Amino acid sequence: MNAVLQEVTNTLDAPLVARQLVHGYEGQNVLDGVDLGLTPGSVLGLIGRNGAGKSTLIRAMLGLLEPLSGSAFVFGEPALKLSDSAKSRIAYVPQQPEALAWLTAAQMLDFVGRFYPRWDAPFAKTMLERWKIQPNKLLAKLSPGERQRVDLIRALASQPQLLVLVLDEPAAALDPVARRELLRELALRAGESGTTVLFSTHIVSDLERVASEVAFLHNGKLLLRCGVDDTKERYGRLWIPAKMTAAAPAQSLSKRRNEDGSLSLIVERDAQGHWPEAATLPGARIDALGLEDLFVEIAE
Amino acid sequence: MDASLLTIQPNAPEPIYRQIVEQLRRLIASGQLLAGELLPSVRDVAGFHAINPMTVSRAYGMAEAEGLLERMRGKGMVVAATRKPIQSESQRLALLEAQLQELARHVNELELPADPVLRRLAKLLGD
Repeated sequence: MNAVLQEVTNTLDAPLVARQLVHGYEGQNVLDGVDLGLTPGSVLGLIGRNGAGKSTLIRAMLGLLEPLSGSAFVFGEPALKLSDSAKSRIAYVPQQPEALAWLTAAQMLDFVGRFYPRWDAPFAKTMLERWKIQPNKLLAKLSPGERQRVDLIRALASQPQLLVLVLDEPAAALDPVARRELLRELALRAGESGTTVLFSTHIVSDLERVASEVAFLHNGKLLLRCGVDDTKERYGRLWIPAKMTAAAPAQSLSKRRNEDGSLSLIVERDAQGHWPEAATLPGARIDALGLEDLFVEIAE
Repeated sequence: MDASLLTIQPNAPEPIYRQIVEQLRRLIASGQLLAGELLPSVRDVAGFHAINPMTVSRAYGMAEAEGLLERMRGKGMVVAATRKPIQSESQRLALLEAQLQELARHVNELELPADPVLRRLAKLLGD
């Protein structure tokens, strides 16, 4: 499959950059040479199946693990040697926050807040109420979903310039109302304060609301990286009936033969906005795809 | 106009900015939005629908380039003064073109003759 890679932006002004990251566990490669750069104020949605390498990529980009090869930079600094000032500008919410479990939610927020120059204590207090977290309960006694909500509050209250979220298990973490509120916060902060957001999730429709770009990670490689609107306009599914498949285009992002012998291909418009010629074959058909369909097609 | 007047379907194949422009076109053509009427700010639309403000800006920019909206200094976007509800039947029909083509495609795929489809459509319209 074609790896469509975008040129990595200048490391100096980019909040987050990965260069040729390779990592693996027990001889198996989880990241297979990933290049990825985020521009300030962008909201990048990282899509991938379980085990695609999303968490490893994020941890390597933030310097939380040392890759086998390749490098990562945060605000131009090597991720593995971040200065305190760079750290105070980042907030990271992992899938399963575990730190400081012996404190209550209120104690933890009070404690952590002291490390951040721009801590928004009133916001933290309001959100605890809004997201129905008992401030005096020990973090260890909260459900995993509640824990992640507290961690989201912690991340947002620090008013970071770079916010990295891993929200892979939504059912546990946020109900639809809270989820919408979170998305609203992300969207408005990116638009107004120029916060850069890297957002990893399975819930593609969340990404479609707030993301300006998406990156598809599959088997440790970046398959596609594109603006959300652009992705929807540029790619489509071409269906070719069985008797016409000899005329199928040679170039496609994915190709699937259906049981009746017909072909389904993911194709791209050319520079003039035209679909491949095969789209005009008798009986052939082009369907526009949402991101989720596109992802399912190319990640098979 | 209120941000709630817009409907956003994030998972539709049609990009969100196009959904917004399309709805503005229809609301203006049908006279639900009148010339000079103030549009909700980018922030209001983005906040209400939890969508990226850049998407809303892009939609407003496109609607402005198309002559649907005008930027009023210090106020925001308003429906362009030259915009009147579309009176001519052919112009209003043109706004349905995409949906009609889609319907025609489905009819062909189902290998249905035109008559029963037209009869059914006439009945739906008559109600």
